[in-house]
Amino acid sequence: MESKTPLLEIVNLHAGIEDNKILNGINIEIGPGEIHAIMGRNGSGKTTTANIIMGHPDFDIEEGKINLNGINLLELEPWERAKNGVFLSFQYPQAVPGLQVGNFLKKSVASIRGADAAKGVNFRGLLKDSMKELNMPSSFLSRYVNDGFSGGEKKRFEILQMMLLQPKLAILDETDSGLDIDGIKTVATGINSAIRGTDSGALIITHYSRILDHVKPDKIHVLIDGKIVATGDASLANDLEENGYDWLENKIKSEGEV
Amino acid sequence: MNTINKYIEVSELPHRADHLWRYTPWKKVHPTGKVKDVPKEVKGPKIRLLNLSGTESPPGIELIRGVGEDIRLPESDDVSTNFIKSISEDSKWILKTESKFNSNEPILIEIDAVDEINGIQLTLDIGDRCEFEIVTIIKGSTNWMGLLRTGRIGNGSNINDITVGLQERGTLLRVDAISLGRDAEFRTGTVSSGSERTKADLRYRMGEIGSNLRVIGSILSRDSMHLDHHIEIQHDAPQTFSRLSWNAACGGKSKTIGTGMLKVANGSKGADASQNFHNLLLSKDAEADGIPELEVLENEVVGCGHGIANGPIDENQLFYLHARGFSPMDAKSALIAAFLNSTLSKMGSMKVHDWLSKMLYSELKNMNAE
Ligand SMILES: Nc1ncnc2c1ncn2[C@@H]1O[C@H](COP(=O)(O)OP(=O)(O)O)[C@@H](O)[C@H]1O
Ligand SMILES: [Mg+2]
Repeated sequence: MESKTPLLEIVNLHAGIEDNKILNGINIEIGPGEIHAIMGRNGSGKTTTANIIMGHPDFDIEEGKINLNGINLLELEPWERAKNGVFLSFQYPQAVPGLQVGNFLKKSVASIRGADAAKGVNFRGLLKDSMKELNMPSSFLSRYVNDGFSGGEKKRFEILQMMLLQPKLAILDETDSGLDIDGIKTVATGINSAIRGTDSGALIITHYSRILDHVKPDKIHVLIDGKIVATGDASLANDLEENGYDWLENKIKSEGEV
Repeated sequence: MNTINKYIEVSELPHRADHLWRYTPWKKVHPTGKVKDVPKEVKGPKIRLLNLSGTESPPGIELIRGVGEDIRLPESDDVSTNFIKSISEDSKWILKTESKFNSNEPILIEIDAVDEINGIQLTLDIGDRCEFEIVTIIKGSTNWMGLLRTGRIGNGSNINDITVGLQERGTLLRVDAISLGRDAEFRTGTVSSGSERTKADLRYRMGEIGSNLRVIGSILSRDSMHLDHHIEIQHDAPQTFSRLSWNAACGGKSKTIGTGMLKVANGSKGADASQNFHNLLLSKDAEADGIPELEVLENEVVGCGHGIANGPIDENQLFYLHARGFSPMDAKSALIAAFLNSTLSKMGSMKVHDWLSKMLYSELKNMNAE
């Protein structure tokens, strides 16, 4: 059966840094309107996968392809990928002392969605509504980007950027880990409303099933040592949470596959 | 003895070992390079006092001709001081405020130097318990400009003072020799992105109990500029507080030097001081030095720290901005502006900061156009 072009297509991705191989053949296909999740232990290569999709210059791609709506992302620079709709909510958002949040957001929206989107009531209205939804006071705008932010503030700020930039593909790298349960619900609502029933898609990287209870991902991929060892439906997250990664590894060893 | 003779006498040349002249010898700063020369018939630059917003300055503050009396000056470098004095006989000004002078509107002193060589002496005669902000701009197409500022900040006054160097070319020689009264708070900022060569010798003395000083720099150098700032802070009374934060962004083949000298005299119990130099290197040919020095003769101090950091633009910051759609050029100028802004934002109120940011932004645009 011929399906339409996937939103994101990662095929047999091998990558590393200098002599250190990190990713050993990743395959993920996300269709429009779909939300997928990647789960895996610390050090399994989740952040590396996210960084490579965004175009981080430190990594060498040895093999494989990454396409977004049929466009070869590997040929694009990070800022070109951003303009093509790739958004990464960073696990550890970078502080930029001296750069004001308000100016940064305006410039970022202008770069990605065009000058008109960053002007006048369009911009101010969306900004105000989004900040309200995320429970952020307007004094936030005069602070410096991620400078002295608490863990939760950093994550909320990443989500604020996602809401303003309206990406085609949102990658959320452990965005849930600094948030309390209300924060997680807010983010989950935000993701659902941004993705479901649209042409966009999301890839949620997480340690915990908590956020997945609210988002109900279409697929869950389990990453071990830079390889996707299992792909399943939402129930896989709960199985993993109950039994741990060792259970999955043993199961794979004994069955050959899941 | 007149000032010319005084100058000639001391100009037996500052020794290179004298740390003030270590990185930029006097010969290179002097208008002709022949250090015995004292240019004749030097005109003073145009100077005017107004509000930063362009309106007329309020009553209670005035700019008058003359040299302030009864103002004790801290020791300063004789060569540069006497040289500027000897060429600015006809250009001596006093910025005078009544006690308790207070203004919400920042005040502007505009110095426009258009003649080949310019010299000016400005005495700050700031009364007690004043509260205001003052921005001094140095601009114009002069080839050589000397500014000597001396004076005293009155007891309990709270002043933000910012000097902005926007001279189009040539050399700028700046000497500050300013003392702080009891419980005075003085915040003095330098914003520099003009002149091909700058030599500044900025000295502040806290000779009375409880004074509070912040010296802040936002320096942008490009092309083949050579910008050398020496900052000397003298704690000479108990419970005195000082902070020096100096950020320099250095591009092209330019060179910036920041040297700090922190002196805590015996008897300055409870002194609290620190100095920080931070250099951002924007090209491989740019050079930047930040050199803090300490001379602490009192044991009972709260702290006397220093720090230096030198480096290129942070790769992680760049990637963050790239991931948010900033082009390489936009990301670079945003990060330079952010770096300079982290000291700029400490210099004064929001009003002053907005004004300075706009000014800096247009300077950065010039930089990218090159
Ligand atoms: N910049 C880097 N330089 C060297 N090694 C790295 C770098 N980034 C990641 N790695 C290595 O790659 C592996 C996967 O890391 P990461 O992708 O951050 O894992 P996860 O996000 O799943 O915890 C780890 O062994 C880590 O040490
Ligand atoms: Mg990670």
